[in-house]
Amino acid sequence: MIILVILLILDIFFGSVSISASEVIRAIFTHTNSSFETIIMRFRLPKALTALTVGVALSLSGLQMQTIFRNPMAGPYVLGISSGASLGVAFVILGFSSGINGDSINALGNWILVVASWAGAGAIMILIMIISSKVKDIMTLLIIGIMLSSGIGAVVTILQYFSNETMLKAYVIWTMGSLGNLTEGQLTILLISVSAGVIMSILSTKILNALLLGENYARSIGLNVRFARGAIFSCTSILAGSVTAFCGPIGFIGIAVPHIVRIIFKTSDHRLLIPGTILMGGAVMLISDIISQLPGSENVLPINAVTSLIGIPVVIWVILRNRKFSGSF
Amino acid sequence: MNFLKFILFITIITLLSCRSRDKKNDYIFHDAGNNIEKAERFALYKKDGWTEVRIINPWQGATDVSQVYYLVKRGSKLPAGLDPESVIFVPLKKIICMSTTHLAMISALGEQKSIVGVSGTNFIYSPELIQNVKKGLIADVGYEANLNKELILKIAPDLIMIYGIGSESAGYVGKIKELGTKIIINADYLETDPLSRAEWIKLFGALYCKETLADSIFNAEVAEYQKLKTYIEQNITTRPKVLLGLPFNDTWYISPGNSFISKLISDAGGEYLWMNTKSSVSMPYGIEGVYLKGMKADFWLNIGSVSSKNEISNVDQRLNDLPCFKKGNLFNNNNRINTNGANDFWESGSLYPHLLLKDIATILHPELFTDHALIYYRKIY
Repeated sequence: MIILVILLILDIFFGSVSISASEVIRAIFTHTNSSFETIIMRFRLPKALTALTVGVALSLSGLQMQTIFRNPMAGPYVLGISSGASLGVAFVILGFSSGINGDSINALGNWILVVASWAGAGAIMILIMIISSKVKDIMTLLIIGIMLSSGIGAVVTILQYFSNETMLKAYVIWTMGSLGNLTEGQLTILLISVSAGVIMSILSTKILNALLLGENYARSIGLNVRFARGAIFSCTSILAGSVTAFCGPIGFIGIAVPHIVRIIFKTSDHRLLIPGTILMGGAVMLISDIISQLPGSENVLPINAVTSLIGIPVVIWVILRNRKFSGSF
Repeated sequence: MNFLKFILFITIITLLSCRSRDKKNDYIFHDAGNNIEKAERFALYKKDGWTEVRIINPWQGATDVSQVYYLVKRGSKLPAGLDPESVIFVPLKKIICMSTTHLAMISALGEQKSIVGVSGTNFIYSPELIQNVKKGLIADVGYEANLNKELILKIAPDLIMIYGIGSESAGYVGKIKELGTKIIINADYLETDPLSRAEWIKLFGALYCKETLADSIFNAEVAEYQKLKTYIEQNITTRPKVLLGLPFNDTWYISPGNSFISKLISDAGGEYLWMNTKSSVSMPYGIEGVYLKGMKADFWLNIGSVSSKNEISNVDQRLNDLPCFKKGNLFNNNNRINTNGANDFWESGSLYPHLLLKDIATILHPELFTDHALIYYRKIY
């Protein structure tokens, strides 16, 4: 918890412009109207809050998916949320006739991408829910989810193939993710929906613990498995869906963080895992954001590249130690 | 593809090693016989009965690449020793252009009728050429990987003018060459000096055997540009600071200080905020750093493709608080834009840099040109 607060503060202190610590403090606590104040209060603070929220949301939904599918490689996007969102965005950026260039889409405002991404992710989620209510075996659902993602990926590829360079670039930049482009209104919506998702996750602790022992066991202790699945899926789509809508598909955090937490707490009890994941998710995302700003240089790295570079070693490590891990699922 | 490149490479090596003059330096600019004064990406050598064209480093990031073409008068005998693959017969009667930026130069030489195909006819600004598209005189040949090769074969142009590594890597170049169609690569957009870019009209002069006309258009442009530049230099007292572009998410792609637009701003009596940076491509900078520097800007130019203040706010509300935004010193280069979204700034703008210079100078120093109405630029309200 303390580490999280320290990281949040560090994230505000470090950015692509170097501002001395005293300036930062002055900007936060006094109303100087200086340009540093604008940078701190309107760029870094919202970005740090976004990073925190995104980290929490993706890690939690990753944890839920790993538990429900009892698969260490599951993440927030196994159900096709990110590919659904990509499809929505691809239709907006790439689908318009080649007469419009990327900039004019840009000028339509960032809401259009948010709405498109929500719509895409939502449509896929509804589809998954319908399939989920028909399919008994959870593994079948996992495979269907992956197949669906690949199919959508193919549609996006076709859209990319028929678009020009400007549009492609706009789309590619979207897929790299971004934390710093939310307006205050959007940040509020993100905070509200993620808080709702977090509360739902905390309430679902018992369900998750039961599911960990297998659906048959869960059924035997009187759990309505279909209802439980539905509840967890909607929780994940709220968490991962809103993040993807506002920040683009941010990879690996959702897969990696739950594993880090399991290693640290040496447990598979969700009463510990959920709060652990919330804290660790926020912390890892804040670290990623600090790194992506490359403090001291004018350049920045796309956030998605940073989270992947942090996430990949963890995932490899998980695969190498898989035998030990299979006990956790 | 690689094999063709290899062949080309061998051809160039052989050609270079044949001539003692070239042994010292592979790419001698402005050397004896070269009719090009400012442009750095191509050279023209007038030979006995034919012209040698060299396109130098024709794509972004190319080093030590030189492509040689021989322009031979139609009907005359092929001079001995020239690789027939690299021979282009001139004057051209039919040309396909992969970029609309080349159309203005062809039109300036009065050769509009030779344009039979364009990649993306939607991007044409010239009303006359749009009429030709409607009449069916200009075909849309598709673009990049979706190039309509069968249509190109049917049109059978004397030459296809391409640009950039994109065209090479898309792989269609090799296929078209294999089918016997001549291709020349145009690198005018890589010229970082406005006059160098305009000098590419000389390439068209050679392709249409209208060298004298091309030279006179270019010389008039140089004279006009220099006159304006001197007048601006002598009469300005301040150099207003200029911000360019528009952010995308939290990244702001910044044109480097050695770019075309940076040179124009400096010649127009302005100070581009990143004038001291050097790069061959736009640099992805973090939005907060750009914003902080942008607070010093007096003017904001080339703001993506926006046409109203509202559109800027939609991109990022925080941009409203930039002093240049509050002062309303916003000007965009999309004054001449048609309903398809084609922008004449990119079409005739490269041929008439003195008009671009005058526009920017009028924006930065209105007192210098009280009677000049902006042509390519417009104020954003």
